[in-house]
Amino acid sequence: MFGFLKKVGDYTQDAVSAARSITQGLGVTFDHLRRRPITVQYPYEKLIPSERYRGRIHYEFDKCIACEVCVRVCPINLPVVDWVMNKATKKKELRNYSIDFGVCIFCGNCVEYCPTNCLSMTEEYELAAFDRHSLNYDNVALGRLPTSVTTDPAVQPLRELAYLPAGVIDPHDVPASAPRAGRLPEQVLETLTKAAAATDSAGAPNA
Amino acid sequence: MHTSAVVTPGLDLQASFLELLDGFGLSEGLAHLLWLPLPMLTVLVAAVVGVLVNVWLERKISAAVQQRIGPEYAGALGVLQPLADGLKLLFKEDIIPAKADGLLFTLGPVLVLVPVILSWLVVPFGQNLLISNVGVGVFLWIALSSIQPIGLLMSGYSSNNKYSLLGGLRAAAQSISYEIPLALSVLAIVLMSNSLSTVDIVNQQTGAGILSWNIWRQPVGFVVFWICALAECERLPFDLPEAEEELVAGYQTEYSGMKFALFYLGSYINLVLSALLVSVLYLGGWGFPIPVEWLAQLLGQSVDAPLVQVITGSLGIVMTVLKAYLLVFFAILLRWTVPRVRIDPLLDLGRKFLLPVALANLLVTAALKLAFPAAFGG
Repeated sequence: MFGFLKKVGDYTQDAVSAARSITQGLGVTFDHLRRRPITVQYPYEKLIPSERYRGRIHYEFDKCIACEVCVRVCPINLPVVDWVMNKATKKKELRNYSIDFGVCIFCGNCVEYCPTNCLSMTEEYELAAFDRHSLNYDNVALGRLPTSVTTDPAVQPLRELAYLPAGVIDPHDVPASAPRAGRLPEQVLETLTKAAAATDSAGAPNA
Repeated sequence: MHTSAVVTPGLDLQASFLELLDGFGLSEGLAHLLWLPLPMLTVLVAAVVGVLVNVWLERKISAAVQQRIGPEYAGALGVLQPLADGLKLLFKEDIIPAKADGLLFTLGPVLVLVPVILSWLVVPFGQNLLISNVGVGVFLWIALSSIQPIGLLMSGYSSNNKYSLLGGLRAAAQSISYEIPLALSVLAIVLMSNSLSTVDIVNQQTGAGILSWNIWRQPVGFVVFWICALAECERLPFDLPEAEEELVAGYQTEYSGMKFALFYLGSYINLVLSALLVSVLYLGGWGFPIPVEWLAQLLGQSVDAPLVQVITGSLGIVMTVLKAYLLVFFAILLRWTVPRVRIDPLLDLGRKFLLPVALANLLVTAALKLAFPAAFGG
């Protein structure tokens, strides 16, 4: 008899706790209703890529000395450097250079190690293609500069979260003049040089 | 608490229409024949528009809960999105799988949709604003809603697909187990209002406005009824007949085009219908939180004046729809809150929890009715 009553009691307790957690969950969903979306309407609005964004690689044919350092530092030896030895001048003659962006992982090692800085990374990330072979860029395609988000008249550029004023989450309707949260690199540099100058002048009489 | 003697006749469109045609010299039979299609068409249109609104709400509220925007290019705020959905389904190819049973495959969705639409027969929007004040009102709805699992099972079985069959079987099992607590909680209401007619049930809740609504006297019944209604509609915490992670789309797997649209339409009409019935059974139907009779008295107007009748009639429709859509909103919120249950806890909940609770609720209601006949409709 008491065993049965205990079972009923336990069952009721379970039901009450289940009801309580469902109400709690409903509270959470209800609370989310009043948070506004910060959707970026992609083809019409785009986020401005951050500095040092590692997008599609840009290449300057005329600067390249065909040293193949980029090939050696690449995790998968991806860049194809097509050169021939000119017997007469005893110099390498570059004929073609290509990188397949269907395979590239955008690690940026080639850019880092290139001795003549002929490689650099752009802000371009829209690399969708109908045929994966069309992602294999030759030196002409690699030499093209992408359209910048900020200069494209068809696109409304929006700042990324880290570039917004403190406390702002929605990039829409933030005036271009509103400064980002924290100090800019040049401001940091300025205080550093000032501090260095102060220690210099303070240390001079002792020296 | 309040007898139906104080109830005013309210807006009676049928009587006015028949009177008008009588004035044109038409016979009574012919006038009645001309009247008949009007409320039916109105309710059919209302049901379909209700579904379109419902689909839009579902998309928009779901988006808001997940901090998305939702549809916004089809019409202002995406209001035309459900129309675009419907149009797409209408123009899609209608495929009957090669090894399926063509007749049953076609009959299934029809059998799912027709009883749901038929149930709108008993939904009152006002004292005389319903197609037919059937004496067995709610009972008719319960009876009709048990035809639906047959259609689901039929379409699941005839699709000749294991997922469809499993989905159909689950739908049937679920509907049957949740029908009983649903009927029992309705029975407790019927016990209090001494009638199965939806109009009488609402009339018994008028009088003291919001205080006389059944939700105060039947809180347990309200919860049980709402859970069962969600299960009957196969709404998300209980949508495992069409659980996409396990069963592709359950009994709908092989359907496309207009037949799929019938299922879609059926499930949404059913949701609106369930919400309407909850508002009729527990939230005072067309009743305003403050009785309109008091308001009319306060303004020194007669309740029987034509203008007051039109105003109270419209107010009644607005109140019914408002209450129903508040419940629909709650159902959508619940959809994104509660995870889907497994099939065995689902049946456990129906048979081991809701059934005894509904039964106890019925017995307590009966006891209270004997003890306090004044407050529990003696």
